[in-house]
Amino acid sequence: MTRKTKGNTGRQGLSRRAFVKSAAVAGGAAIGSGAVRGFPTIWAQNIKNVTLRQFGTGVSNLNAVAEKCKQDTGITIQMTALDSDAVAQRAVTQPNSYDIADIEYWICKKVFPSGNLQPMEVKKLAYYDAIVPIFKTGKLTPDSVIAQGTAPHTVGFVEGKNSTSFAKQPTEWMTLIPTIYNGDTLGIRPDLIKKPVKNWRDLLDSDYVGKASILNIPSIGIMDAAMVCESLGKVTYADKGNMTREEIDKTMAVLTEAKKAGQFRAFWKTFDESVNLMASGEVVIQSMWSPAVAAVRSKGIACTYQPLEEGYRAWGGGLGLAKHLSGLELDAAYEYLNWYLSGWVGAYLNRQGYYSACLETAKKYMSADEWGYWMEGKPAQKDILSPDGKVMEKAGAVRDGGSFEERMGHIACWNSVMDENSYMIRKWNEFIVA
Amino acid sequence: MSPDGAVGEVARGGLPRGRPASPAAARFPRLRAGASYLQVAPLAVILALFLVIPILTIVVVSFWRFDEYRIIPDVVLDNYSYLLTSAVTLGLYLNTLKYAALAWVLTLGIGFAVAYFLAFHVRSTTWQMTLFVLCTIPFWTSNIIRMISWIPFLGRHGLLNQALLSLGLVDRPLEFLLFSDFAIVLAFVHLYTLFMVVPIFNSMMRIDRALIEAAVDAGATARQVVWHVVLPLCKPGIAIGSIFVVTLVMGDFITVRLMGGGQRASVGLAMSNEISLLQYPAAAADAVALLAVVLLMVAAMMRIVDVRKEL
Amino acid sequence: MRRERRSLGFWLLAAFFGLFVLFLYGPISTIVILSFQGPDGGLTFPMNGVSTHWFANLFERQAVGDFGGSFTRSIELGLLVMAITLVVSVSAGLAFRRRFRGATFLFYLTVASLIVPSILIGLGIGLIFSIAGWQPAWYSSALGAHLTWTLPFGLLIMFAVFNRFDRAYEEAARDLGAGAWQTFRFVVLPLIAPSLVGVALFGFTLSYDEFARTLMTAGSFNTLPLEIYGMTTNVTTPVLYALGTLTTGFSFAIILICLATALILQRRRARHGSDAGKGV
Repeated sequence: MTRKTKGNTGRQGLSRRAFVKSAAVAGGAAIGSGAVRGFPTIWAQNIKNVTLRQFGTGVSNLNAVAEKCKQDTGITIQMTALDSDAVAQRAVTQPNSYDIADIEYWICKKVFPSGNLQPMEVKKLAYYDAIVPIFKTGKLTPDSVIAQGTAPHTVGFVEGKNSTSFAKQPTEWMTLIPTIYNGDTLGIRPDLIKKPVKNWRDLLDSDYVGKASILNIPSIGIMDAAMVCESLGKVTYADKGNMTREEIDKTMAVLTEAKKAGQFRAFWKTFDESVNLMASGEVVIQSMWSPAVAAVRSKGIACTYQPLEEGYRAWGGGLGLAKHLSGLELDAAYEYLNWYLSGWVGAYLNRQGYYSACLETAKKYMSADEWGYWMEGKPAQKDILSPDGKVMEKAGAVRDGGSFEERMGHIACWNSVMDENSYMIRKWNEFIVA
Repeated sequence: MSPDGAVGEVARGGLPRGRPASPAAARFPRLRAGASYLQVAPLAVILALFLVIPILTIVVVSFWRFDEYRIIPDVVLDNYSYLLTSAVTLGLYLNTLKYAALAWVLTLGIGFAVAYFLAFHVRSTTWQMTLFVLCTIPFWTSNIIRMISWIPFLGRHGLLNQALLSLGLVDRPLEFLLFSDFAIVLAFVHLYTLFMVVPIFNSMMRIDRALIEAAVDAGATARQVVWHVVLPLCKPGIAIGSIFVVTLVMGDFITVRLMGGGQRASVGLAMSNEISLLQYPAAAADAVALLAVVLLMVAAMMRIVDVRKEL
Repeated sequence: MRRERRSLGFWLLAAFFGLFVLFLYGPISTIVILSFQGPDGGLTFPMNGVSTHWFANLFERQAVGDFGGSFTRSIELGLLVMAITLVVSVSAGLAFRRRFRGATFLFYLTVASLIVPSILIGLGIGLIFSIAGWQPAWYSSALGAHLTWTLPFGLLIMFAVFNRFDRAYEEAARDLGAGAWQTFRFVVLPLIAPSLVGVALFGFTLSYDEFARTLMTAGSFNTLPLEIYGMTTNVTTPVLYALGTLTTGFSFAIILICLATALILQRRRARHGSDAGKGV
């Protein structure tokens, strides 16, 4: 509420946007909607007046990013944080209510074909080459194995400017610029768990009856469930990211049995719920996100982000451009995307425990110690601070799961939208009712 | 959700004075009717735009098809055929009806006692208003925040369990307090009891005190007075309150999700799941079915009472 | 004899009422206690120190979300809903005092508006806007969605009011030569004013805390309940409880003011010789 712009109503936003559009016609008539950097003086002035509306979950719709962007580029970003359900809805059903969509890649698989987003020209993305190869080829290093599920590169490109079909290879047209991603695993309360946790199957260990939890977002929860079932040896999957009906049935049967036996204390849906469940001791083992573990720890409560033998379940998010963007606004959006990848945001996200898309640029904004702790798995030399300056880890701490390569190199599968998605969701509902 | 307005009015009001036909109305029926239409026009327009049309849209969309990211105009019965054949549907409705029944019994019992206390034992209007207001203040804090705060209240290490432990009433924390059917029904009772209290209180205030005096003089015990005099006369209020509670519970989804820890389901929750996965036609079919069930239940309750007369 | 039996019943019921109030305040008590968490404290027990940190934090920029903007929006929407509810219910309430064709239908429609599950209204309005390609916003679609919830309450209260309203006053005014508007403005309105405070309070409160109807109709910008819900997608802090504590305090203040207003109006009316203000 420190920023006046936040108080703008949609109506005011619209009228100013209308004004901006006419300004773009006047100013841009001679120039055409060419590259931003070609005409710094005229555009830079205009861009300062542009307001872009971005929505997404609270994970990355951070006010600090909007504020810094205003400072650096003059562009005003209005951030609206929504819960994960509302994000998909908004993206598909209200295409005019946003300019920039901050969505996950598996949601992109559903949203992009609806034609509400426009692909972005790779040649206008100044830091394209610095983007981690996971988002281009699916491989972290040339000899990595591509993980199962909706891997970002499979929905990262389309064939052409007006195409809505995903390309198999990197093209000149990108659907989302990647922003954050991570490998998720089980979080545990080491003070309340006596024996070592090594595998996904430990989630269903009888020691934790009434003290376990999983994610209640079907597309993500099913992947956690699949990791557990595979680890138990009860189900074998051809492709966890694209299960057959039979595989879905078997997976759900295992989960339902556990649920009926009272294994789960609760299912969580928002970041905050997972933190509260863990911090209050309601749950001692659950699928979690890295910053949620950090949030529990910052309250002085022991919590470990336990690496597991089977590997991580990964997810990634990115920014997409709304179809209706054009002219000056579109140019401002590109300017924003380029700024986003230029390092400051990357460092901010890395410091929260996520990974950012362009590691090289982010590195410039982090101290050697921070880089060593977060990215290289080295012990911290000094206290590690969160982006808002609180001590997150004491000197000497080592990050759970080690270095970037160790974590992102052990991805078992990505969050997915399957061919049998509707069937899966019905089964999930049955499971919740059971 | 503050019912003090109605209460304030009821507390002040006397017996209804009937509706004698105005002589002016008798003289110029057509003119009067015209004025009536003008006066109800805003209400009619708002309800048409935001109630009737949306519901018709839902009915239409329930016959549409859908895929991952869009809804496609069509006339298919898939949504209904799944709804009517799936074992889940029955489970969902039974579960939801269970919550509605439990919430109804509890809100009715508690609501009746509270209303009785306020109507018959608290004599001064000012006190009645003040006590009502006292009950409504918790509802001014956002429901989402209140829901979150149940966890530290009812949780394994929450206030209630700590109190029970330190009093020596239990030797280990009670787990069923949170993320259970118990928690869901508790939250419903918490949220909706006042919706029961207000109409019952309203009915009680309209009971002629002479009737009670007469019953007592005829030798009736307090219990007999409540059972044979007060309760029958409160029927309309009970019916109105029941309509509130039952419909609110039947359509709820957020309470079930948060208090059930995601492990319990209701019709509303299943619908909201479908909405969140963009399966609007399926959700619309669910909605039509739910609406039909709720309307049937309300119609049954309306048979007991003419709501309009009894206000 | 009777007096004694009554007093036993009184004490039992009073105790029951006390328990009921305690029950209502249960969650509020945790909110108030936990809002004084230390700077490192979380949303659950144990307490991590004691401070007023989160009250100060309420007025600072949050990591995610924006209390100021959404709060303003919710208040504006609440006031808008309140004003429309007030005018429309009084007007419709006046109309329903006479018979007119369609009255019964409209009455049942209003009752239907009350019982149709909220999520359905949200879905329906959201669908219409989505199919028509209109842009939902808090001041259009969400306003409409809220009105379907507040208007029935408003109208029911007006029914209760007019069922108890003595037409003799109006007729006296008319006999003395007052026009329809004058009668309404100087006779009816002052008499029903205290109840209008109730309608207004209802309208505002129901709108201010509405969630299910707003979820799909709010458009680009969130109302306060939606914003809080959105904030739970990142680390939320006891600042939420600080907000709850302040709201509770604020509510006490507002309600006291309303109570006082109603009492003053009642007194004034009593002075002017009406019998409508007297209790039973």
